[in-house]
Amino acid sequence: MINISDLSVRIGQRNILSDISVEIEDGKWTCLVGPNGAGKTTLLKSLLGSLPYSGSITDNGVEVFRNHDRNVAFVPQHPQIPIGMGVGEYVMMGRSKRDGWGNESSHSRKIVADILKLTGLFGMQSQHVSLLSGGEMQRALIARALVQEPTLILLDEPTSALDLHHQIAVLNNIEILKERGVTIISTMHDITLAAMYAEKIVVMQEGRVLLNGTSDFVIHSPELKSAFENRINVYTLDSGRPVIVANKDLTN
Amino acid sequence: MIKNKSKSEESGLAPIWNWRITAFAAALLLFVGILAISFGPVSLSFQEIIRTLLGLPGGLTGQDRTLLIDLRLPRALLAAIVGAALATSGAVYQTVFRNPLADPYLLGAAAGAGLGATIALTSAGADLRSLLPVFAFFGAISAVLVSFFISGKFFAEPNSLLLSGIAVGSFATAVQTYLQQRNSASLRPVYSWILGELTVANWQVVTWSSIYILIALTILFTVSKQLDGLMLTDEEAYSLGINPNKLRVIAVVAATLATATAVSASGLIGFVGIVVPHLVRGLTHRVTNRGLLTIALVGASFLVLADLGARTLLSPAELPIGVITAFVGAPFFLFVLRKKRLVAH
Repeated sequence: MINISDLSVRIGQRNILSDISVEIEDGKWTCLVGPNGAGKTTLLKSLLGSLPYSGSITDNGVEVFRNHDRNVAFVPQHPQIPIGMGVGEYVMMGRSKRDGWGNESSHSRKIVADILKLTGLFGMQSQHVSLLSGGEMQRALIARALVQEPTLILLDEPTSALDLHHQIAVLNNIEILKERGVTIISTMHDITLAAMYAEKIVVMQEGRVLLNGTSDFVIHSPELKSAFENRINVYTLDSGRPVIVANKDLTN
Repeated sequence: MIKNKSKSEESGLAPIWNWRITAFAAALLLFVGILAISFGPVSLSFQEIIRTLLGLPGGLTGQDRTLLIDLRLPRALLAAIVGAALATSGAVYQTVFRNPLADPYLLGAAAGAGLGATIALTSAGADLRSLLPVFAFFGAISAVLVSFFISGKFFAEPNSLLLSGIAVGSFATAVQTYLQQRNSASLRPVYSWILGELTVANWQVVTWSSIYILIALTILFTVSKQLDGLMLTDEEAYSLGINPNKLRVIAVVAATLATATAVSASGLIGFVGIVVPHLVRGLTHRVTNRGLLTIALVGASFLVLADLGARTLLSPAELPIGVITAFVGAPFFLFVLRKKRLVAH
């Protein structure tokens, strides 16, 4: 259980997050949604423990800030791509936390090979990561997170740069993590996809939490529309699945 | 199933670094080193050199022995440690600043050392000529410190650090040029120092410079495996167990110590820090910093060979070693630039 209470983050003179209190269940997929600038990425970085904050974030009762004992995987929206590095080596970096940097065990090599197969990257291990397509790069990032065998994975807009086909492929890969009991927290700009995959949704606006609950509850709450300044409409398909569509008619 | 499969075959993954390459680089350095101490205006017999070095009977005697022990050997050793220092620092700067064209002089170390050396060479009254290495060393360190100080938040914005390095470098060069113009007698020695020279090599220089450089390189080799994490975003590095800012400070301090020592011992030898890391990465198809030791060994071989060229091409006159390294380095630099553009497209 991750417990966030009275969390505030200031960067320079700006309050990025203010008084956030949320509980996040283990083994579930929680999605952070909200307009740009709502503080979603900052919340992810705070959960990683790399960003100073006030208030408290505890992961199974332990404060997360600078706590290197946790094994948390982080998938950034804009990864830094090491020019000239092969896919195999890139994914192998995920084992560094367990084996120590540069000390891959043969067990790790086997895990990496298995995960490359699982994510459809086997055979591409010598190819440079800088030459991968957007979808392949995202899969390489997920593969690295999988070999890390984390207890928690944080994903920042894992599908933002992908077409629908690759979005589904990547989201299905993330679901593999959930099947392995990993807690997943991701930001996602597509609320329809968020509702389809995540069990919990946290709606953020201007550094605060506006709504928090099961996907079904959040999607059908009137506050969701107000978070997006009434620029969205929620429809329900015959199958019962919600679809969120931008509202074209409204002007400022 | 065939038994006794190698590790790499079992998982289908190539090893990240093949240490046989490092062993080969070490053998190369040994070969180049013996070549360098054998050749010159006076050629020495290979067998006699080996006998002399191993202390066996039948070695060199008289002038030949002095030539070997007091001139060629310290010079080759200085070339080797300076080459190792510059190549390793270059590779480390390239990783830390995520910039394949970064070189060891990036943060103003070269210009600072140049200013320090010029002050030593132009100062009236006291003879500071013998203190030139000390002045160059502190010039280099001060310039880097000022760059850090001006850019403020250390690595919060690597680009602002690079820009302040450029500004500090230009300022130091301006002051250096001014001092030089006011004292035209110093033009020639300053100029030849800037082009790099190993003619000053003696056992004293070799000893103090190798102490500093070995300390710096030991630190860099120790953190070399973690350095790969700096190729990722800070959050990814953090999640993989690295404290990125701490690692960057350690790496830059050690690389700057190595660079400042190299510069103060041998002047400004350009391009080694760019050519050698890219040569090793290009030939091995590996960018990992596990290759750092190999880069050091190849850098040492490169400079020993360049110095051999500097001594023998216009023999008995000498070319500044910086001319040789730049002659090879500049076209290579353009090649890397072009290749990088091709990859980006």
